[in-house]
Amino acid sequence: MTNLAPVVFIVDDELSVRDSLTLMLEQEDISVQSYENADVFLRAFPQDCIGCIIIDVNMPGMDGMQLQEELSRRNNTFPIIFLTGHGNIPMSVQAIKNGALDFLTKPVTRKTLLNSVRSAFLESEKRLNQVEHKQTAMRSIASLTEREREVMNLAVQGASNKVIASRLGISHRTVEVHKSNIMHKTGASNLIDLVRITRESELDS
Amino acid sequence: MDDSLKNLNFRAIFDAAVEAKLLVVASGRIVLANSSAQLLFGYSEDEICKLTVEMLMPTQHREQHKHYRALFLKKPSKRAMGDGKALAALHRDGTEMLLDISLSSVETEEQLFVIVTFVATDQLLRVEEALQASEERLRMAKQAAGLGIFDCDCVNKVIYWDKSMRRLWGDEVHETLTYNDFLSVIHPEDRAARKAAYNRAIDPSGNGEYSAEFRVINPTNGVEHWIATSGRVHFEAGHARRLVGVAQDVTEQKMLQKKLQEQRAETECLFKQQVATRTASAIAHELNQPLTAISAYSEVILHALSNKEMDADKLTRALEGCVEQAQRAGRSLHELLAFLQKGEIKSEQLGLNNLIKEALSMVHNDGFGGFQQVLNLQPDLPAVQGNRTQVLKVLVNLFRNAVEAMRIASVSVSTISISVQTLAETNMALVIVQDNGPGLDNDMAKRIFEPFFTTKPAGIGMGLAISRALIEANGGQLWLDPDSKAGAKFHFTLPFAQ
Repeated sequence: MTNLAPVVFIVDDELSVRDSLTLMLEQEDISVQSYENADVFLRAFPQDCIGCIIIDVNMPGMDGMQLQEELSRRNNTFPIIFLTGHGNIPMSVQAIKNGALDFLTKPVTRKTLLNSVRSAFLESEKRLNQVEHKQTAMRSIASLTEREREVMNLAVQGASNKVIASRLGISHRTVEVHKSNIMHKTGASNLIDLVRITRESELDS
Repeated sequence: MDDSLKNLNFRAIFDAAVEAKLLVVASGRIVLANSSAQLLFGYSEDEICKLTVEMLMPTQHREQHKHYRALFLKKPSKRAMGDGKALAALHRDGTEMLLDISLSSVETEEQLFVIVTFVATDQLLRVEEALQASEERLRMAKQAAGLGIFDCDCVNKVIYWDKSMRRLWGDEVHETLTYNDFLSVIHPEDRAARKAAYNRAIDPSGNGEYSAEFRVINPTNGVEHWIATSGRVHFEAGHARRLVGVAQDVTEQKMLQKKLQEQRAETECLFKQQVATRTASAIAHELNQPLTAISAYSEVILHALSNKEMDADKLTRALEGCVEQAQRAGRSLHELLAFLQKGEIKSEQLGLNNLIKEALSMVHNDGFGGFQQVLNLQPDLPAVQGNRTQVLKVLVNLFRNAVEAMRIASVSVSTISISVQTLAETNMALVIVQDNGPGLDNDMAKRIFEPFFTTKPAGIGMGLAISRALIEANGGQLWLDPDSKAGAKFHFTLPFAQ
């Protein structure tokens, strides 16, 4: 999934701005998809790739800040870079608080934009990996039986086989069998690995 | 004399009188009291006949009355007591009554009798009380309002004034003053204006109303006070006789007025600053987009040159973009400057139908598309006279506003209707632009053409103000139809070319 080429999505109502930024990014072999307003972008809302969204703050209809809100409602994982004609500090603070990666002022230099886009790609990859890990962890935990999950919950809290056996009213030998099944199903190599997997399955992303 | 009268005795007549009557002998002792008198004073006949007249008076008057009684006996006559004023008499229960008392005498061979007649003056008393109360109210009102009263004798040039008035002039002592004394405390700069007001008032052909404001310099402490006066002149035989009026210290109001004026000036200054800031930000807004594109295109070209990777098509595209955007920035700047300076504009013959179509395609290209358009054009419309860029700008502005309003309101099928009509009587073309958005409420409709008024989150609020100014500069008018039921409906006119 992550081997797809990273993409920059540009949402700006100005044709000339979209065009010039597209040319600039394509010189760096970055794929660009541009949209003239928030509605068109939301309808095409892409998923499952590394990328970032460059959003113009001042747009007719739904503006940049509203688009950011709408995207977080839709569990967007793409980092957002804002572009604005006349940015002010309160506006940029609000945007960053709401999870924007950067807040750039027009006209933007190539260097600034590329720096921002590159760090956005790294962030995007990280977020995507987290999502994948979580999905894997959730899938493996979902394959456990109810008894196995009970054993696992106690084990990751540091309970010994003896304690688990007496707590669940089963024999020491049965606990060992359950544990071996748990390690096999989740692919965990040891107890620490199992703790990581259970934590990942509970992570928000 | 009629015989029947002979049978009528004194006592019966005395008793039948409506007024209270007493028969008193020289010593002052009461010898007879009629029933009205018994009722008035609250005594039985036996009881009252043991008293002297003095006993029916308040204690403090008794001694003096004995003296008056002696005087009367020396020269008895019919007359009123107390020179026509009501006198106090004492009821049995101790309450004082105000009574008109008159005296007359009857002489027999043996001795002199005095008949004392009492009439209650309650009615009179109530009128006096009411008068007193009203004077008291007037005094209190005067005091509360800080009013002084003056009465100027226009013939003898003497002014009578009350205490409040004297306080305003800083002279507590004199009840009258000469006209010259009155003038001497008025601020020299205000004398001429006050004199003119006075002359107007005493002019018999005028309405006699006097009203003046002037400063008075208190002679004792040198403090300046603003005085407002108003009054009315009374004429006699065509000449001003008296000027009666009121004066008030309005120093505080004057100070307040001055302060308000200063505040207003300050507000105006702030507003101008605001206008400057907004204008600058409008310019920045107009220039930022093209600058952004030019900057990015240029860097694209630079990068291509330094990496020797010459894709001719892309380079051409970037360079064309630069030129186009630089031109666009220049145009925006000229328009804005032309608007701000109201400079000369180039006027030409324009085909409205084509201009409307051009504006629509500009709006579509600028990301404001996605609406249905209903066109009611007039194919054979004569050319109008105006500046092409400006009229185009107004059209684009109206269309963009319509699109934004409909987007904000999430109208499902956005529609803009544009119709062109001919106004024969004024030789004008009329363009009507109507959307199917939420329209404007009354408050918004009133303010929509004000500079910096906006309903958009990121709006500057110059669009309609500029649009109206541009249409007016081209000899037409731009207005909002206040009665539009569905959506906002703008009208503008332009003159036909001669």
